[in-house]
Order: sequence, then C-alpha cells, then structure tokens
Amino acid sequence: MTTRTPRTRTAGRRAIRRPAAAVALVTALALTAGACGGDSGEAAGGEGDGKGTIEFWDNNGGVRTPVWKKIIAAFEKKYPDITVKYVPVPITDVQSKYDTAIAGGGLPDVGGVGTAYLANMVAQNALEPVGDRIESGALKGKLSPGMVESVRAAGGEGEEMFSVPTSANQSVLWYREDLFDQAGLDAPEDWDAFYEAAEELSDQGRNRFGFTIRGGAGSIAQALDMMYAQSGVDTFWKGDKTTVNAPENVEALERYAGLYKKATPAADLNNDFTKMVAQFDSGDIGMLLHNLGSYTDHVKAFGEEKIAGIPLPPSRKGAPRTVPSQPVDGLGLFRDSDNKAAAWKFIEFAASHEMNSLWNEEAGSIPSNTDAAGDAWIEEAAPVKAAVEAVNDPRAKTVQLPYYLPDWNSVSKADNEPAFQKLLLGEMTAQEFADRLAKDLNEAQAEWKEQRKE
Amino acid sequence: MALAVAKKPRRPGRRAGGPARLPYLLISPAVLLMAGFLAYPMLSVLYYSLQHYNVTKPWRNGFAGLDNFSALLADDLFWQSLVFSARWVGVEVSLQLVFGLALALIVNQSFIGRGLSRAMVFSPWAVSGVLTTTIWILLYNPSTGVSRYLADAGIGSYGTSVLSDPDTVFWAAVLAELWRGVPFFAILILADLQSIPRDLYEAASVDGAGRVRQFLHITLPHLKDAIILSTLLRAVWEFNNVDLLYTLTGGGPAGATTTLPLYVANTGIEGHDFGYASALTTVAFVILLFCSILYLRLSKFGGERS
Repeated sequence: MTTRTPRTRTAGRRAIRRPAAAVALVTALALTAGACGGDSGEAAGGEGDGKGTIEFWDNNGGVRTPVWKKIIAAFEKKYPDITVKYVPVPITDVQSKYDTAIAGGGLPDVGGVGTAYLANMVAQNALEPVGDRIESGALKGKLSPGMVESVRAAGGEGEEMFSVPTSANQSVLWYREDLFDQAGLDAPEDWDAFYEAAEELSDQGRNRFGFTIRGGAGSIAQALDMMYAQSGVDTFWKGDKTTVNAPENVEALERYAGLYKKATPAADLNNDFTKMVAQFDSGDIGMLLHNLGSYTDHVKAFGEEKIAGIPLPPSRKGAPRTVPSQPVDGLGLFRDSDNKAAAWKFIEFAASHEMNSLWNEEAGSIPSNTDAAGDAWIEEAAPVKAAVEAVNDPRAKTVQLPYYLPDWNSVSKADNEPAFQKLLLGEMTAQEFADRLAKDLNEAQAEWKEQRKE
Repeated sequence: MALAVAKKPRRPGRRAGGPARLPYLLISPAVLLMAGFLAYPMLSVLYYSLQHYNVTKPWRNGFAGLDNFSALLADDLFWQSLVFSARWVGVEVSLQLVFGLALALIVNQSFIGRGLSRAMVFSPWAVSGVLTTTIWILLYNPSTGVSRYLADAGIGSYGTSVLSDPDTVFWAAVLAELWRGVPFFAILILADLQSIPRDLYEAASVDGAGRVRQFLHITLPHLKDAIILSTLLRAVWEFNNVDLLYTLTGGGPAGATTTLPLYVANTGIEGHDFGYASALTTVAFVILLFCSILYLRLSKFGGERS
C-alpha cells in the first residue's frame, strides 16, 4: 500500500501559482511586443516671435551631419537670437520616426522631407503649406521649376507645396574606367554596350563581376529605372492603368533580371544601397547603378581618374532618354511648430544660394536654387555636370512616378520587394512580377482617385 | 478586581477601525508601472485590432469589427510566416537546449582554466543582437568572409552567399542565433547544477550507478523545472525574434526567413497598416498563450517540488 503525502493548501497554491506566473510573463512579453499605434493629435502651433530655439531633424543624419553643422553655425551667426537644435535621423529610419512622432507627438519645427514620403505626411496633416511663404519671401523665383513641379506632384494636393526643394538626385551608371580600358571595352553609352560589358567583365572564377544589382531594400526603384530607360516608354500611366507591365517594360525587366548571378555576385539578392555601394567600392565589380550621392565614396575608393558616371542610356541611339522621376529632397515646416517664423527663417537660409550650393557640393547632388546651379564646382564634378545636363535636356522624357499615392511606399517596397527576389531567383517570371506590381498600383491609383472625389 | 485585558496587536498600516491602506500604498508603484507599461499597450493592441487604422489613409480609419481577423485567415503571408516561426522556434530551442546543457555539464566539472572557459561560454550572451548580426554578416560576406578565404584555398567557389540562397539561409540564420542563445541555457542550467547536493552522486556511486545513470536519474530530474522554464522563455523570445533576422536577412530572400513578428513589423512600420498589424499581434498572442498553457500542463511544471 502506498501512502500519499497529502498536499497542503499552501503547496497546492504554489503549484498553481508557478505556472500561472509563467503564463502571465509569457503573455505579457508576447502582447507588448506588438504594441504600436496611437492617436494623431490635432495640429497646433503658431508663428512665435521669430526667436528662441527651433528643432531640426536631418533626414540623412550621419552622412550629412558635417555639412548641416556648418550651415547651422552660419545661420546662428546671422541670427544670434535663434538656436537650432540639430537631430540627425538615419535615412533608413526617417519615415518611421516621423510616423511615430505624428502619432505620439514630438515633431520638430523643421525637418528634411523627401518626395518619396511627402504624400504620407501630407495625408497625416503634419506639414504646413509653404507656397505663400515662398512667394512672399527671398526664395521667390529662385527654385528650380522642375523640382517645384515634383514637390507639387508628390504632395498630391494640386498646386500647393508642402516642402521647399533643396536638391535632386539622378540615377547614374557608374563604371570603372580602368577595368573598361583593360578589357578594351567602350563606355556603356548604349544598352548593347552595357550588357556586353557586364558579361565581358565577369569572371566568377576570379571573383570578378560586370555589374552589381540591387536585390534587397530599394530594388524596385532601381528596376523601374532600368525598365523605362531601356523600353523608351515615357509615361507611367496610360489612362487609369500603369505602363509597368507594358510588353516593352517586361522585356527590359527580363533582360535586366537575367544579369543576376551571371554577371553579378549571388549576394546581391540582399543588397540595399549601402551594401551595393560597398560591394562596388570593394573593387571587384565593373558597373553600378546608383545616384549621385555615392560619388564621393567611389572617388575615395578608386580616385577620380578610375571612375566615371553617365546618365542611363536612351532606349536606342538617337532616341530621347526616358528616366523615372527621382525623389527630390526638401525641407518641411511642421504644423505643430510653435515658432514657425524662426523655423521659416532657417528654411530660407538653408535654401539660399550660398548654403544650397555648399550642401549640394558636399552631397554631390543637384542644387535647387537656380543661382547655385551655375556654380563652378558643378563644372568640375563631371558626373554632376552630366546629370544636370541630362535633367535639363529638353528632349529627355521624365516618367513621373506616383509618389503622391499613399500606398506608393508599401507597394514599391514591403509588398513587392520579396516578389522581386523571387524574380531574381527564377521562382517568378518577369511578366508575373510586372503584372503583380501593376495590379497593386492600379488599385492604389483607383482608391486615391475615389478618395479625392469624395 | 481589575482585569488585565490583553490588547489585540494592530496590523501594520491599519488604524483603529480604518482600512488597511499601507499594503495597497506599497504595491501601488508596481501596479501603476504594470498598468502603464503592460496593461495599456496590451489593451491598445486589442483595440486597434478591431479598427481600420492606416496612418496614410485616414479616410478609411474606423471600426472594423472582425474584418482584420477574417483577412488574415486568407493571407498567405500570415500562414507562411506562422509556419516559419514554428520551425524557427522548434529548431532553435531544441539545439540551444542540447548545446547549452552540454556546455553547462562541461564547465561544471573541475579542470584547469575553468573560470576562463566559463567566461568564454557566457560571453556571446553579453553581445547585443545587432552586433551579433554584424559579426555574422561579416563572416558570411562572400567578399570578405569565410567563403572568400575558402575559395582562395581552392575550397568552394567565389561569390558563395549562404544568406542569399533559400536553401542555406535558414541554417545560416540558425547558426548565428545559436551562437547567441546557447549561453542563456548554459547559465541557467549551470546555476541549477550547482545546487544539486553532492551526496546524491556519492550515494548513487556507492550503489554502482555509472555517469549515464547518474545523469538520467539525478541530474535531469533535478534540472526539470529549470529546463521547462528556460525553454518556455526562450521559445517566446525566439518566436518574437525580430532584431537578428531583420538585420541579418531582412526576412528574405523572397520572404524565406520572415517570422510572424517580422511580418507584423513590416505591415505596421513599412505598410503603415497598424490595424491589421494589431490583429496579427493579437493572434500571435493567443497562439503563444495557448501553447504556453499546454506546455506547462503537459510538463507538470512545478508539480513535483511542491
């Protein structure tokens, strides 16, 4: 006969409590991990007295911190009553940082705002319209008409402007002149030359590749550049339907995606722009498609004489270039600011000839201030000069991407980037990928139009 | 005759006739903290899971009822990420437990250099998730990592990228997380190992039990609660793993390493759809709650000692 020791009440309770405590801990860990969201508070703010402290968020903090420090020092010297609190925000986090601040409070007075996410912020009523301030201030008639148009289109509110453009970028086909010379290849000024060079410069046995493709974050923007430049299709919309899956674009996409692993490293599948640029600057790769922003990195890696940059070739010899519109960077004035007068002074100062020129020279991009566009440094930086010429080429066709769509970022990033990786891996055809992307874009456009009717 | 009446001792904090306020006052900071940092976020997620809430489409925001939940039942990415999460948790926790137990048994022995060995075993636990990822990205990098040097030595080929191949990325990520997770088990198990009375082993040895039998009949039963609790905690952490996979693979290639929390992060942060992301989180919570209760019931956690 076995004798059971009776469980005391206390012991029984402990036995119950321990699993219960463990479950409570587990559930708390699980649910708090996903806690997010919040109410978007009503906008407040005011003009203020034009003095005091203003907060400025740099949307490419770290990389652009030194030049902003110079601009802020010059501003504070000119306006000793105003202090600028500089907050560097990494470019990869800037959208979520703004979204969080819009939902939970804590927006700055001034912030760097790119057209790629301008519509999102306008939709959330975070930004102050700046059209009237520009017209009645020192920037009147001084901003590049093309960039002004891009900012207007990206805001999605007709003629109103929600940021002051400061710079534009342009996709550049960077190539190693020394490797091209060694291989006896011509500059990739047409598409046949580009694909021939990509193949000729590849030697996987020696870890050499002709091109590096962007397969990770930002892959679709690069793919669109390559598709429209090759196809010559010069509009993004045909009626209410996108041209993304037009036969010419699908053919171009197929050829471009076919480079993966034949003329590119396999690791390109996960490339975001930093990995891609680092890969190119490691010295084993012949060509790279990236904007002007990486110019200084290439010069640092190879020296000016070994690196060249040209705009993407036209679809065929003699045809006009067709290039998707590039995001325009700018400065936004926030609705919640209690000191809009001082904040606007800072924006005007940063977009002035001298400061805009300084910023763009250090960033290697195209200035928005028309007075700065004629400065000597542009003549000396060959890729920047070529990009400026391409932008100003009257024959060039700019394919306006729908940055105004609130869904643009999710459609062109989270929703379809994994599918682009499937395309590179051969798990999806170019037609399937283009149709999927087109379906998402058409739906987003239809919803946007419907919403504007109401 | 005077009667001496003994006074009833007063409970601390209780005034004559008044309520016992002091205990409530003392626990109130903890209650407030839990309300602020646990209850509010949890209820907030539950609330938003019943809403259409997309910050970029304010015109669609409003009460959704169970729409978000019915949408996720038809969402292939949800099921794909859930299956991957289950596989990730199962493989990671099992391997971490086995290696953690083995390391704990080794460093529990007496040998020269034991202190240094223990420090080396535990050191990966002190490294942050993002730093761990950076180390492993460098090791896996086809230009600068191990595969480059192997190719230089004639082993394999140049450009081999384990993180870009859907067939190898899972095990590459498992290895990186294993490196970080094993010390957790090793630390907990070692602490419990040191509390086992030596007499038990001596008695078992006198009775003729070998090392294997001692391990099976003394060590393992003693470690049972530590193993159950550590595997449960680790399973929850691995299920909620975002930092390592986000920075190592971004959930790719082609969604091959997207866990459910990573899908939640993409939906909320990239897609701005906080309503649907909250519904996904709520479902993840229910799944974890159910699995945790089931696990504790089946393992009879805490039963024998009490």
